[in-house]
Amino acid sequence: MVVRVSTGRALLAATLGVGLVVTAQAASYPDIGPLPQLKIDKAKAALGKRLFFDKRLSGDAGIACSDCHVPEKAYASKEALSPGYPGNGHFRNASSLVNTAHKNIWNWDGRIGTNLNDMTREMITEDYIMNMDMRIMQERMKQDPLYVKMFKEAGYGEPSNGSVRKAIPEYLKTLTSTGAPFDKGTMSASAKRGMKLFKGKAGCIQCHNGPLLTDQKPHNTGVPENFDVFLDPMNHQAFMAFAMFQGIPNYRNMKRDPGYFNITLEKKDMGKFITPSLRELKYSAPYMHNGMIKTLPDVVEFYNNGGGKDSNKSKKLKPLGLSANEKKDLVAFLESLSGDPLTGPEYVWDQPYPAEYPVIENWTQVRN
Amino acid sequence: MSIKKIAPTLVAAAVATVVLTACQAQETKSGSAASGKAMAARTAQSGPPPLAPLGPPPIPPDNKQTPAKIELGKILFFDPRIGGDASTGCSTCHEPDQGWAWAEDFSRGYPGTVHWRNSQTIINSAYYGRLFWAGSVPSLEKQAPSAAKGGVAGNGENDIMESRLALIPGYRKRFKEVFGTEWPLIGDAWRAIAAFERTLVQRDTPLDKYLLGDKSALSEEQVRGMALFNGKAGCIQCHNGELASDQDYHNIGVPPNKRWEEDGLAQVTFRFELYAKGMTEEGYRTTKADPGFYFRGKNKWDKGKFRTPSLRYTAYTAPYMHNGVFYTMEEVVDFYNRGGFDEEGRTTAYPENKSKLIKPLGLTDEEKEDLVAFLEAFSGEEILMEKPPMPDYAPLFTKAELEAAQEAK
Ligand code: HEC
Ligand code: HEC
Ligand code: HEC
Ligand code: HEC
Repeated sequence: MVVRVSTGRALLAATLGVGLVVTAQAASYPDIGPLPQLKIDKAKAALGKRLFFDKRLSGDAGIACSDCHVPEKAYASKEALSPGYPGNGHFRNASSLVNTAHKNIWNWDGRIGTNLNDMTREMITEDYIMNMDMRIMQERMKQDPLYVKMFKEAGYGEPSNGSVRKAIPEYLKTLTSTGAPFDKGTMSASAKRGMKLFKGKAGCIQCHNGPLLTDQKPHNTGVPENFDVFLDPMNHQAFMAFAMFQGIPNYRNMKRDPGYFNITLEKKDMGKFITPSLRELKYSAPYMHNGMIKTLPDVVEFYNNGGGKDSNKSKKLKPLGLSANEKKDLVAFLESLSGDPLTGPEYVWDQPYPAEYPVIENWTQVRN
Repeated sequence: MSIKKIAPTLVAAAVATVVLTACQAQETKSGSAASGKAMAARTAQSGPPPLAPLGPPPIPPDNKQTPAKIELGKILFFDPRIGGDASTGCSTCHEPDQGWAWAEDFSRGYPGTVHWRNSQTIINSAYYGRLFWAGSVPSLEKQAPSAAKGGVAGNGENDIMESRLALIPGYRKRFKEVFGTEWPLIGDAWRAIAAFERTLVQRDTPLDKYLLGDKSALSEEQVRGMALFNGKAGCIQCHNGELASDQDYHNIGVPPNKRWEEDGLAQVTFRFELYAKGMTEEGYRTTKADPGFYFRGKNKWDKGKFRTPSLRYTAYTAPYMHNGVFYTMEEVVDFYNRGGFDEEGRTTAYPENKSKLIKPLGLTDEEKEDLVAFLEAFSGEEILMEKPPMPDYAPLFTKAELEAAQEAK
C-alpha cells in the first residue's frame, strides 16, 4: 500500500463506506472524493439567482444565462452546440455550471484563469453571448424596484455593474453537487468495480482527479470537430469573431477549434481542452467541448479506442482493451457521480420579471 | 475604451476590473473647430450668409464616389446584420418613408431600449462638418461605426459584424471589387455607407429653383414668408447659407421632453447616456435635461446647445428638434414667436445659456402662416427607395474540405 497524499480524504471516504482499492497509478494523483463546502452569503446569492435568470442582462433583453445554462441539464446547454445571442450561433457546448465555483480555470480552452467575476463579465459583454453594454445593464437594474431592494439587502448599496459581477458568482456557489451515490457511499457493486477501473486499468484518473474529477489542465484527446460549427454560418460567425478577437493567426481559414492554442499560440497546444469535471454527467449530455459524443457508453468506447485521431493527442491515451462488462462498470461509476437535480426554487428564480420599467416619480427632483 | 469587451484574457492575467469611466471618445474629444470657423465666417461678413442654392456635396479625397461603392453602401445601409442581433440596421431608424428618420419624438432604440434623441434625416447629411445633434463626430465615415456600435442604436461589435460580412459571398465579391481586399473589412463598410449617404441629397427644392432664377417656384405667400425669415423673424441669423444652417451650436430654449418624467425605459437610457458620455457622479445624479453640446468640451455655458439643423427636407422629418417635442411646423413657429417657449410656457432647463438671438417676434397670424408656407419651400419631392435585396449567407467551407482538414489533424 502506497502512502496517500490526502489522509483526511481517505478517512472521510472510509467512513462513507466507499471501498477504496488504491492502485499504484492512482496514488500519484489527487484522489477523488467529496467536494468541500462553500460558505454562501444568502442575500447575495438570492440576488445572483434573480440575475442569472433575467433576460434583461443581455443587450436586446432576449437571452438570460439560464437560456444556455439550462437547470435541467446541470446548467449546460441542451444541444451539442450552445445557442448564441440572438442573430448568432455558438461554436462550443455551454459548460455545466454545477461546481464551477470550485474551479480555478474556466472555459473549455481555459482562457479565464482569474475568477468567476471575470467569467461573468465575459459572458455578459461578449457579443455572441449576451452583447450587453454593462452601463445600460446597470441603469436597467436601477429602474427595477425589486433589484434596488435586493442589492441593498445584499449589502451592495445601489445596483452597479461591479455588484452584478459579485452577486452572480455568489449564486454559482450554490450550484454545488449534492446527493451523488459516490459522495453518499451508496454506489452499486458495478459502480465500485468501475471506480477501480477508473483509477487503474482505464487510467482516467491521470486527468480526471481530485474532488472535481479534473486536473484543470489542457489535454488533447482527439475529439473530432463538430462540422456544424463551420457549416452553419451563424455558428461560424461566432467562431470567427471569437478567433479574431483573440488574435489567432489566419483565423478566417481555420477549420478546427484551436482550444488551448488560443492561450499560448504554440503548436503543441493545438486541440487541447481543459479536462472537464465528471460530476452531473447524467444531466449534461451531449459531451465534450463540442457535444460530439452523445452518451456515456459512447464516451467509454471513445477512450477504449485510445481516444480520437490527432497527431497532437496526449500520450496518456492508448487503447484500453476493456471487456463489455468493464465498460458497463465504468459507465455505472460515471453515473454514480451525479446527484440530485438542482432545479428546485432554491436554485431557480421562478417569479416573473416585470414587463416594463416602472417610472421613477418626481424624477426632476430626485437624485438617481 | 469599451465597457463591452476588454482585450483577450490570458490565463491568470490580472484583468480584474473594467474601467467604468469609459467615455465615448467621440463625445469627449473637444475642439470646436467647426463652430470656430463658422463664427469667423460670420464676423468677416457684414451679416449672415444669405440662403443659397445647394451645390454638390463635398467628397473627401480619400473616399471617392464610385457606382460600385455606392451600391455596396446602399445594401449595407439597409442590412440589419450591421448591428448586434441582426435586427437593427441603419435603415431601421432612418426609414426612407419616414423622411429617412423615425417619426417619433425619440428614435426607436436597439431592441430593449429607446433612444434619447430624435432620429436625424440622412438627406443632406453629406454637407455637415460635424454630425449628430451635438456635433460629436467629424465625418460620415466616423459617424457610421458610432451608430452601428452605440448601445441604444446598432449595438454591434466590429468582430461580429466583420465576420458576418466574411460569410456572405455577395459581400465578399463586392468588397473585393470596390476595395480590392480578399476579405471584407469593417472599416471599408463605413466608407461605403458614407459614399451612399453622399448620394442622398436634395438640390431641386422650390427654394433652389427660385434662387436659381425661377421666380414662379415660390408662391406669393412663400415670398412674404422668406422676407420674414430673412428679416423680422430673424431665422437667417442661424439658418443660413446653402444648407440653411450655420453649423454652429445654440440653445434656443427647446424644453425637455416630458417622457423623461413619464417613461421608465426613457429614464434608463437617459442615465446611461450621461454615464457613457463621462458625466461626473454629481452631474450624473442631478442632470435632468440633455446638456447637448456640453458633452464636447464640458463647459457649462454649452449646456442645452445643439447644432443648428438644416431646414431642408423638413416636410418629411417631423417631429422636430433634438428631442422631437414639436410635431408640426406651426408649433415650431409658435415656439419661436413666443421667444423660445412652448404653449405651456416651458423652455430650456438651461435658461442661463439661452441664445440672445431668440426673443418674442410679434408675428401676426398671417405672418406665421407665411413663414410656415416658406418653410415648405425647403423640401422637394419625397425621396423614396426600395430596400435592395440582401445577399445571403453561405457556408465558407464544404463538408469535403472539413473532412480533409479532420484527416490531416
Ligand atoms: C448564449 C449562451 C450563453 C449565455 C447566455 C451564457 N453562457 Fe456561460 N457559457 C456559454 C458557453 C458556450 C460556454 C463555454 C465557452 C467556452 O468554453 O468558450 C460558457 C461558459 C461559462 C462558464 C465557464 C464554466 C466552466 O466551468 O468553465 C461560466 C462560469 C459561465 N458560462 C457563466 C455564465 C453566466 C453567469 C451567464 C450569465 C451572466 C452566462 N454564462 C451566460 C454559453 C452561454
Ligand atoms: C489525457 C487526459 C484524459 C484522460 C486520461 C481521460 N480524460 Fe476524459 N477528458 C479529458 C479532456 C481534456 C476532456 C475534454 C475533451 C474535449 O472536450 O475535447 C475529457 C472529457 C471527458 C468526458 C466528457 C465530460 C463532459 O462534461 O463533456 C468524459 C465523460 C470523460 N472525459 C471521461 C473519461 C473517462 C471515463 C476516462 C478514462 C477511460 C477519461 N475520461 C480519461 C481528459 C482526459
Ligand atoms: C436605433 C436607431 C438608429 C440606428 C440603428 C441608426 N441611427 Fe443614425 N441616428 C439615430 C439618432 C437618434 C440620431 C441622432 C443621435 C444624436 O444626435 O445623438 C442619428 C443620427 C445619424 C446621423 C447624423 C445626421 C446629422 O444630421 O448629423 C447619421 C449620418 C446617421 N444617423 C447615420 C446612420 C447610419 C449610417 C447607421 C447605420 C450604421 C445609423 N445611423 C443607425 C438613430 C439611429
Ligand atoms: C439662435 C439660432 C437660431 C435661430 C435664430 C433660429 N433657429 Fe431654428 N434652430 C436652431 C437650433 C440650434 C435648432 C435645434 C435646437 C434643438 O434641437 O434643441 C433649431 C431647430 C429648428 C427647427 C427644427 C428642425 C429639425 O429638423 O428638427 C426648425 C423647423 C427651425 N429651427 C426653424 C426656425 C425658424 C422658422 C426660425 C425663425 C423663426 C428659426 N429656426 C430661428 C437655431 C436657430
